[in-house]
Formats: sequence, C-alpha cells, structure tokens
Amino acid sequence: MKVLGKLLVADIRQFLRERAALFWTFAFPIFFILIFGAVFSGGDNITFNVGLAVEDNSPVAQQLSAVLQEVPAFKVNIGNQSAELEALKSGDRRAVIIVPAGFGESIAQGSQGNIDVYYDPTQSSSAQILLPIIRQVLEGFGQAPSLIQVKPMTLQTHEIRAIDYLVPGILAMALMQLGIFAAMPLVVERENRVLKRLGATPLRRSTMILSTVVFRLLIAMGQAALIIIVARLVFHVPMMGSWFYLAGMIILGTLTFLSMGYMISAFAKTQETAMPLLMVVQFPMMFLSGIFFPLEMMPGFMRPIIDAMPLTYLGDSFRQIMVDSSAMHSHLINAGVLGGWFVVCLIVAVRFFKWE
Amino acid sequence: MSTVIEVDKLCKTYGDIKAVNNVSLTVVQGEIFGMLGPNGAGKTTTMEIVEGLRPADSGSVSVLGMDIKQRSRRIKASIGVQLQTTSLYPRLKVHEVLDLFGSFFPKALPYDELIKLVDLEDSRNKLCINLSGGQQQRLSIALALVNDPQILFLDEPTSGLDPQARHNIWDVIKLQREKGKTIFLTTHYMEEAERLCERVAIIDHGEIIATDRPDRLVSQHFNEEAIEFQLDRPPGDEVLRQLAGATNVVTENGKVTVYSGSVPATISALMEMAKQRDMKLTDLYVRRATLEDVFLKLTGRRIRD
Repeated sequence: MKVLGKLLVADIRQFLRERAALFWTFAFPIFFILIFGAVFSGGDNITFNVGLAVEDNSPVAQQLSAVLQEVPAFKVNIGNQSAELEALKSGDRRAVIIVPAGFGESIAQGSQGNIDVYYDPTQSSSAQILLPIIRQVLEGFGQAPSLIQVKPMTLQTHEIRAIDYLVPGILAMALMQLGIFAAMPLVVERENRVLKRLGATPLRRSTMILSTVVFRLLIAMGQAALIIIVARLVFHVPMMGSWFYLAGMIILGTLTFLSMGYMISAFAKTQETAMPLLMVVQFPMMFLSGIFFPLEMMPGFMRPIIDAMPLTYLGDSFRQIMVDSSAMHSHLINAGVLGGWFVVCLIVAVRFFKWE
Repeated sequence: MSTVIEVDKLCKTYGDIKAVNNVSLTVVQGEIFGMLGPNGAGKTTTMEIVEGLRPADSGSVSVLGMDIKQRSRRIKASIGVQLQTTSLYPRLKVHEVLDLFGSFFPKALPYDELIKLVDLEDSRNKLCINLSGGQQQRLSIALALVNDPQILFLDEPTSGLDPQARHNIWDVIKLQREKGKTIFLTTHYMEEAERLCERVAIIDHGEIIATDRPDRLVSQHFNEEAIEFQLDRPPGDEVLRQLAGATNVVTENGKVTVYSGSVPATISALMEMAKQRDMKLTDLYVRRATLEDVFLKLTGRRIRD
C-alpha cells in the first residue's frame, strides 16, 4: 500500500511537471468543445420563444393571456396545445404555457386553477430563468393569486442541440485517448530498460501496473469534471442523469481503453511502431463511433465496424446519462460491450506482453 | 574469504548466436571483480543472468549461497543492480527517485545518506532530466545502493563519460569497496579494469579466455615490453619481426607495436633500419605490456574495433 502511494505520487509529480502532456490532456478536449460549440450555437436570444395555448374562453383566461404577452422577455406564440408542444419538441419554443379548459370556472368557484408549463429541461436556462418569470407573472395576476398553480411538466422527448450531442462524445473520446495512450510510457520504459531496472528490485509488477491504472483513473475523473464544468458554464449543457452512474461509466470506459492500450503495448516493440498502431486504433473510433456525427449519417456498410467499436457504446452511454438523448442501446448492452472489450483486451495483453 | 557469486558452466543462446558459452567464474567477498571484453562479448547477458533478470539455457548460478532460479526475489533484496539505462524518471528530482526506490525494498538507506555516498549533494533537488551524464551515472549507482546491498552489480559504469567523470565514479566505487561491499562490474575500458579491478575475467564471443589479477594476466603472457611507433612507409611485419629482440609485431592503422624482450637492442636495430631504408619514424615510445596487449595476443584483435 505504501509503495502504491509512492508510485502514485511519483506519477502525479511527473505528470504535473510535463507541461506539454498536461496541456494536451486537459486543454485538447476543451478546445474541441469551445470550437464546435462556437460553430454550432447560433447565438442565444435574450427573448424567449414561449408558446401559449388558451383552451378556456373565460374572461380570466383571456386576461391572463394578455398579461403574459406583455412580459418583455417573452415572445409569445399563440396556438393550440398540440401544435405548440410539437414546436417545443422541435426546439422552436423554450416553454409552452397551457391554460386548460375550465380554468376560469375553477377560479370563479374559488378553487384552484391549474396552469401547465411544459419546458425543455435540457436547457438549464429554461428552468432557471423562464419558470420564475412565469411563476411571478401568474402569481401577480388577478385577485386570487394563490389559487393558480404552476405545474412544470417535463417532456419525454426533446430536441438535443448539437453541442449537447457533442459534449458527451468529447468526454468519451478524451477517455479513449487517455486509455490507449497509456501504451506509450510502457513501451518507452521497456525500450529504455526502465522496466528491467524495476524488475531488478523486489517491486511486484502487479503493484506497478495497479499504480498506473489508479493514476489514469484519477486523470480521467479530472478530465471529466473539467469537460462537464466548461460545457455547463459556457454552453449550458445539462447533466440530467445520475452522477453516480456517470462516474461508473467513466471508470468502466477508462478501464476498457486502458486494457486496450496495454494490449497495444504488448504488440509494439518500439515507440516508432506503437505510434502508428495507436493511430490506426484511434482515428476510426474518433470519426466512426458517432462522436462528431450522428450515426444515421454513416453509410450502411460501415455499420458492422461501428457496432464493434467500444467508443460507440461509451459515447452512447454518456449521451444518455448526460443529456438524456434517445438510446441506441440499453445501458446493459453499453456496459456489457465495454466490459467484454475490457476482458478480451486484458487477456490478450497479459498473454502477449513482454517485460523486456 | 568466502565466495559470494558462483557461476558454473553458464550457457545462453539467441538464435544461432552463443551469447554466453560455458562461462564459469567465482567472485569472493569484498573484491572488485571485472568482466572485460568488447561490446557484444556477452558481458551484459552474463551479468543479467547472475542478477536474475534473464534465465539461462543451462548452467547454474548461486548468489550469496542461494540458487538464482529458486530464490530470485530474496536475492534481489540483497543485491544492488545498475543497468545501462538512461534516466529512469526524467521528471522526478534526485531525492524523490531515491525515496521512491527505497520504498520498493523492505529496508532502505535514507536518501540523504545515498546522495552523500555518490557526491550528489549539489544536485539533490535537480530533476533527473537536467543531470549531466556523470551525475546520471552516479545517481544510478546510488539507486543500486538504496537497499544497502551486499553485492553491487555495475554494468559499464563509466561508459561514455569523460575522464574527469570517470575518475569520480571510480572514487565512488572504491569507497563502496572500502565499506566492505563486493563489486561485480563489466567494462570495455582497459584502464578501468587495470586500475580498479582486483581480478579480471577477459571475455570474448561469450567465452571467458582468462581470469586473474590484472598484473598477473600481463606477466603471465608477457615478459616483453611494447615499443610503439609510426612509420610513413612500413616495410611489413615480416621485416620488422627480424629486428633484434623482437618477439611479435602488430601493425594497425599505421601504428606499429613491436614486443621486445630486449628494448635497447630492438630500438637500435630499428633506428638502423629506419636510416638505411630512409623511413620517417615518429611517435616512438616504450611502455610495459597492458591488458590490451593480453587481449590482442589472446584474440588477435583489439578490444575496441
């Protein structure tokens, strides 16, 4: 345990002192997000497109409608309920306010009048800015404010912005690179006889490998945190699923690609052979596993390759957890395929890895 | 004195090449034992088998009375190993690397003591990547000393260093010898073998040709001394061999070495010959025979090609 700690500290120290590696590990994915985010986001409006469907003909309802249209931050579109919800789904509305039939009657009878507000929860600004405004408007309206109740309702499906689609993919890609490039130091240390020198001490090889695995997992967590924070602060990319589940998939994904990296290091004798091998593994995954382009854009004959690549499943998994994108595969299949890759790569790596 | 390393009929083959061919040797406690030979002679392979880093094809190795095949891990805790490695952890500081390595062993010397042993006090807080070649080498010796080993294995400890740095390393090694450690080193430097080692095994093509004290190796093979000179038009070894007192002649790159049992007779005959044949004779000097001459005599070539 003490040795593991010392090795870990040594790894971290070396990492922090290697400015270039530090930069590429953390800045590279952020660059991607910033550049793509700038390209994809067409500039946020200060006014919000709000849909309004008034299904009630009572004077109270008409009055409410008029007040809502006066709100400066709103650009109110009036339509029927189903059309407005459709517009919300396709991303043309930030929220839809429904004044249901019987609203005026309820108020008149002195009971509660319900107003339904649908909004897109992936857009955090909707929840944070829109709802308080609507609530304020409704509560400040009329003679009996307490009788009007706002019921925010989440839509089951919603349009995902390009940046929402991209960020979980970038996270998956960053972990993929972090994992497979773990092959490099191992190949270098074997070439420089560092592994042999360590072999001349009583240090157990399992301890040594374990320390690098823990080290990479720590970096993975750091990278993930940074990506999520930047995406959230700059582009309001939401986090909808469970943090716990996300952390689990980050660990599983990192382990999978680490074992793939170790497998590569088993077959590459020198740095010069390791590099092209890493590229051959990296690039198809980067471009074919739906990180940058939705898979629907890929030609059908590529489907088997796409379906075989672990990054496809990690990206899908992160998208589901983070932005609640429609699932390509169930969580079970995603975790299962990644786990399968992990086991296979690990077995091959253990079988073929040579320490000198 | 007790034997600490016993190697018996060791063999190791890579493809068609017999890297180590029937090597037997013993190292006794407290001595500096050197394996001398050209690059590719099998020094490193032999040493790494003894350290337990490579398996042998056949033969046996016992270190500190333990069989290397069975007690490798136990042996590793009692020996110190230095390999021909560049920097181990380029971005760790000197004291950090020593501290890290110490943690690999059940007990370790404090790093400040190690730093003092190899005279690296001024570089204590330097990153390894910023060390000079000689400092790197001293650090790697310090790493080999981290567990206060009984036997110190040094593979080409001064390879590629300038004379000043080489002498510094020799001082470090001698200090360890004074502290009672046994030192097993390899080298392709004649001077290093002659000045540092108490006993030397000469190895070539995987075989040990001779093992003894350096001075005895020389006196066994040479009663004569070496006369070296340059000739602008050398008449050929056959002619030079006719010189009075000459026992053998070797010419390499215009440099002639005449081994002679009677230096005055040979030199006056040489002068006479140069005058008669109008040869330009330069750089003449006489020296006693060295291990280099022994190697040349036994293998027919110089140690560095």
